[in-house]
Amino acid sequence: MRELELYFGPQHLGMVGNFSITLNVEGDRIIKAASNPGYLHRGFEKLMEYRTWIQNFTLVCRINVIEPDSMELMYSMAVEDLAGIEVPERAEYIRSIYLELARIGSHLFGLWAYANMLGFDTVANWAMYHRDLILDLFEEITGARVYHMYIWPGGVRRDFPKGLKGRIVKTLHKIGSGVPDYDDTFFNSRLFYDRAKNVGTVTRKQALEMGAVGQVLRATGMKYDIRKIEPYAAYDKVDWAIPTREDGDAYSRIWVVRDEMIESVHMIFKLLDDMPDGSVYNRIPNPFKWKVPAGETYVRCESSRGELGLYMASNGGDKPYRVHFNTPSYSHGLTILEEVLKGESIADVGNIMMSLYIVAPEIDR
Amino acid sequence: MDRNQLTKWIKSPGNMGHKYSLDVVYFCTGCGIIEIPPSITARWDAERFGVKPVATPRQANLFLITGYVSVKTLKAVIRTYEQMQEPKFAVGFGSCPINGGMYWDSYNTVNHLDKYIPIDGWIAGCMPRPEAIFIAVTHLWTLIDKEIADGYKRYRDKYKYYRANQEKVLGELEWPPLFPEDDKK
Amino acid sequence: MNQELKKKINSSFPSAKISLPNESRVVIEVNRDAIISVLSFLKNMGYEHLSMVSCVDWIKEDEFELIYFLNAYMENDEEYGEIEKSTILLKTMISRKEAKYITAIGIFASAEPYEREIHELFGIYFEGHPRLTHLLLERDYEIPPFRKDFDTRKYVKEFYEEIPFVEDREEGKE
Repeated sequence: MRELELYFGPQHLGMVGNFSITLNVEGDRIIKAASNPGYLHRGFEKLMEYRTWIQNFTLVCRINVIEPDSMELMYSMAVEDLAGIEVPERAEYIRSIYLELARIGSHLFGLWAYANMLGFDTVANWAMYHRDLILDLFEEITGARVYHMYIWPGGVRRDFPKGLKGRIVKTLHKIGSGVPDYDDTFFNSRLFYDRAKNVGTVTRKQALEMGAVGQVLRATGMKYDIRKIEPYAAYDKVDWAIPTREDGDAYSRIWVVRDEMIESVHMIFKLLDDMPDGSVYNRIPNPFKWKVPAGETYVRCESSRGELGLYMASNGGDKPYRVHFNTPSYSHGLTILEEVLKGESIADVGNIMMSLYIVAPEIDR
Repeated sequence: MDRNQLTKWIKSPGNMGHKYSLDVVYFCTGCGIIEIPPSITARWDAERFGVKPVATPRQANLFLITGYVSVKTLKAVIRTYEQMQEPKFAVGFGSCPINGGMYWDSYNTVNHLDKYIPIDGWIAGCMPRPEAIFIAVTHLWTLIDKEIADGYKRYRDKYKYYRANQEKVLGELEWPPLFPEDDKK
Repeated sequence: MNQELKKKINSSFPSAKISLPNESRVVIEVNRDAIISVLSFLKNMGYEHLSMVSCVDWIKEDEFELIYFLNAYMENDEEYGEIEKSTILLKTMISRKEAKYITAIGIFASAEPYEREIHELFGIYFEGHPRLTHLLLERDYEIPPFRKDFDTRKYVKEFYEEIPFVEDREEGKE
């Protein structure tokens, strides 16, 4: 059969995010795939070199629109490390609760995209509605739905409003009450099984060779999670488990995501109970004259898509000298995707892409 | 809502027809796309306003340019816009297409999108809320009624200036002009 | 754990400068010829996850600093050991005038996009890399944009701001 070149994206119904893949196909089989990122490149790391330390705090969250909070955390942790700022204990707990809420929101967005891709419109609508409930909580805490700018060097911007604990519990119970419905219509459905089982399989060997992190790795059975390996915020203060699966295909990855959401909800309940009183931030120096001592640091955290790292170098000035974000989608989208798509059918491109949870703005930065 | 719907329907059935069925191109140009799924799903339900996403630009008449436009995206935006059937409306979503927004000093994003394609309206903010989309849509209705939303006509009339600007950023364009000079005569 | 690593590296590569800024970071500085052998040595030690390749432009010293970030995957799927806690920052300096280096794809397949990005944004050529084409950018810039001598604000002023609005073009102001 004749080999054809097919452009998949950026304007394509099966594509979430501004990203494109060039496919070489023979009939319906993909022979070769080449990722083509860069549609969202803004040169963040260059822009950050031109802005003061406090200005950057409002800029970093815009790197990843689906889960901006882990970017804020990364920046704050790096600056705290360089400048030697301590974080109060209550702020650590607030950060953890907040990041777990963001993780659930991000996973629900991923579930929307994935269910949409397979044609489960009902589930997609539920997921988006439930995510919106979490956005309402964010709005109450920070005043914004999407870009919160809440975690900053030295703690968090403000304390939780009065009575928020009850509302978080209520919202999470409301979302949790939907789990049986999700299971019946989607996760245990035969349609989902047939579409996702043995599709886009990343074996353990491939995963290790190509630098997989996050649920791609956890779907092959390894409990690789930075929250346990190198605990930050308050993750070492409570007890929680890491869900894994064995097969490494799209089906396992989505199940890991589902289990992770439920685990996050339980973790939030535990954190809310243990939360101590006290202040929520330590004062930082006058932001107009703030100079961070020279040095370099590398910090990492577990975002909703996998390990997220930040290398930051300062030369003692009022601006960072070099910033480099190591994002999980980078190796997932540019190395693993190209490898995994080989031999699959065109109809499964969106399926595989969303099960790997590739977020385009994070690749391009 | 309009009280004299009937007279409007008699006077300009075309305008009334397409203003209540604005079909949006499914194209995630920037981070503004994060507010589109909530708007089109159950909670905010954009279909109340006749807004729904469609698969290809050839079926669409509304182009929401959601967020910053990098040089590489600009090419795709122009091609998508040119593929849409007239009458078509383009709305800039978020602060970045208006004047660069957060990325005013980025070497890879264009600052004023209306230098390259005609824009009928802007939604300011970072990020604009779903309500802002609906206000923009209702506002676009009045613009269509008054026939001020004439971006596609401007594009036709001033095509050579738009094309000159596009070529300045993207270099020689790979596709032929949409409105060749000879056609007008 | 890291002390042992330090000893092992020192015995194999006496010229390497090793520092331990805190209990989970190891910074190794080697000269430019040794990188590939140190990378494969560390991979055999268990650090088989290249999480990032980064570059810093030290313009005053007239040098680029290449940094390879290495992590280890877990040895045991269930239990956490010591090895995956530490991140290795492997550094080397290359001259700014002769921005050329050797690719690490042979050892780490995941290095491919990172090196492509550095080639594009810093203008460092990686010998042996199979596709050093455009990754993120559409246009060519005279100076690669992430170098320190590329002033993005000046560039925006001189390029994007100079493009006239369509109305101005029509009136012939250009």
